[in-house]
Amino acid sequence: MRVLALRAAILTAFLLAWEGAARAANPLLYVPPSAALPALGRLLALESYPDLVPSLLLTLREIVIAYGLAIAAGLGCGAALGLNRVIGRAYAPIVGALYAVPAVVWYPSLMLFFGLDAASKIAFGFLLGFFPITLAVLAGIRQVNPHMLAVARAFGARPLTIFVKVMVPAMMFTLVGGLRTGLALSVIGVIVGEILGSKSGMGSLINHAYGLFRTADYVALVLVTLTLVVGSDAVASLVERRAQRWSE
Amino acid sequence: MSDLIAVEHVGKQYRTSSGPVEALHDVSLAVGAGEFCTVIGPSGCGKSTLLGMLAGLVAADSGRVLVDGRPVTAPDPRRVATVFQDAGLFPWRTALENVEFGLELQGVPRERRRAVATELLGPLGLREFASKYPRELSGGMRQRVAIGRALAIDTQIVLMDEPFGALDEQTRLLMGEWLLDIWRRTRKTVVFVTHSLHEALALSTRVVVMTARPGRIKSVLELPMPYPRTMESPEMAGLRARLWDEIRDESRRAMGER
Repeated sequence: MRVLALRAAILTAFLLAWEGAARAANPLLYVPPSAALPALGRLLALESYPDLVPSLLLTLREIVIAYGLAIAAGLGCGAALGLNRVIGRAYAPIVGALYAVPAVVWYPSLMLFFGLDAASKIAFGFLLGFFPITLAVLAGIRQVNPHMLAVARAFGARPLTIFVKVMVPAMMFTLVGGLRTGLALSVIGVIVGEILGSKSGMGSLINHAYGLFRTADYVALVLVTLTLVVGSDAVASLVERRAQRWSE
Repeated sequence: MSDLIAVEHVGKQYRTSSGPVEALHDVSLAVGAGEFCTVIGPSGCGKSTLLGMLAGLVAADSGRVLVDGRPVTAPDPRRVATVFQDAGLFPWRTALENVEFGLELQGVPRERRRAVATELLGPLGLREFASKYPRELSGGMRQRVAIGRALAIDTQIVLMDEPFGALDEQTRLLMGEWLLDIWRRTRKTVVFVTHSLHEALALSTRVVVMTARPGRIKSVLELPMPYPRTMESPEMAGLRARLWDEIRDESRRAMGER
């Protein structure tokens, strides 16, 4: 309760400060809440952007595909790097180094490869989500207590059984953390991709509003997108807490 | 070939960064069915390596290990169960689920294995702790769960690698008494590795003393006395002095090596 009250307090203070500052400076540039809220109403009533719903769905679909691919590839590559000593020694440092590169530098190439449609956004979302998931699987496998593996072997467990019954639960916490980071980054990848260059999706609407200097609509679009991001992260954090109770 | 366990001229080397280290050198040992055989020796004398070989977790470089007349090449959970020094419980499983682990791997149906594990919790003194996770249990309880996990698969042979090594002395004494009771009721064959003279003398039918690295068998002490043993009796005090004599030089050598 107290946490909620504190959160509400800082939100209110922030909105009031925003309102005051924006009115004092330039309401067109700084969009006070008193202007943003009506714009949000018009947006949700499908007046300012009638194609809001298909745009939202397109962005969501891109995120789901990008994230799904990132999970599949991340689990596969992470397992290969973690379970095979030679592969791990050869490639793990490269994966780590690539993760450190600001991924935006790849985006122009992705647009050249995949065009301006959904494919390049999915590729970018995938690229961003792939690394944290791969590295989490790798770290998870490396932190499994070798003693537990010996116990499982002594009781007759075969490699696949060891993986399913010992390694996966032992690394669950790290894995879920990586999946959560991967989701956040996949979402960022898709939306940034849309903003940088596209003809449809939430990012394209944001770009449109911004380009036409419809600042209030722009803020309203950002708020809707934010809800999407915060919502997905809330689901992820719920799953993470479940996993936390499981391990350790 | 009436011996249940036969270790024949076994040797083992480990490669380390500072060159090869000989852990075991020409070790031979036979353990009969129903024996409580304790292996005692200084740190690093290869006791755990020897136990690992019996468990099928460590391969010998030379010689061979036979269980029931058959060479050991891999873990065989139908004949041999192992209790490790660090309990090695799975933290995401409850005490009961940990005890069930071996049965689960053998494909025993859920209800059957639950029944077996639940029945074991009584003598383990864990009846009220079935649904607790390892982090909620004391060190002694955790070790009892690990012993329960080994007993659940009901093998003829149980290997124990310093199972009470990490416990405080009082808990250790009580656990020793408890283990003796279990062993006398189940008549399993136990190979027990320890540092403790007291444990060796109170529990074993036979004590095997190993030398400092490379581990060799220095002497074997038969202990035919009935249980429970009074450790204060002149006979036991004499045996204790003799055993300490045997181990003392080896421990000194092991200490000097570091």
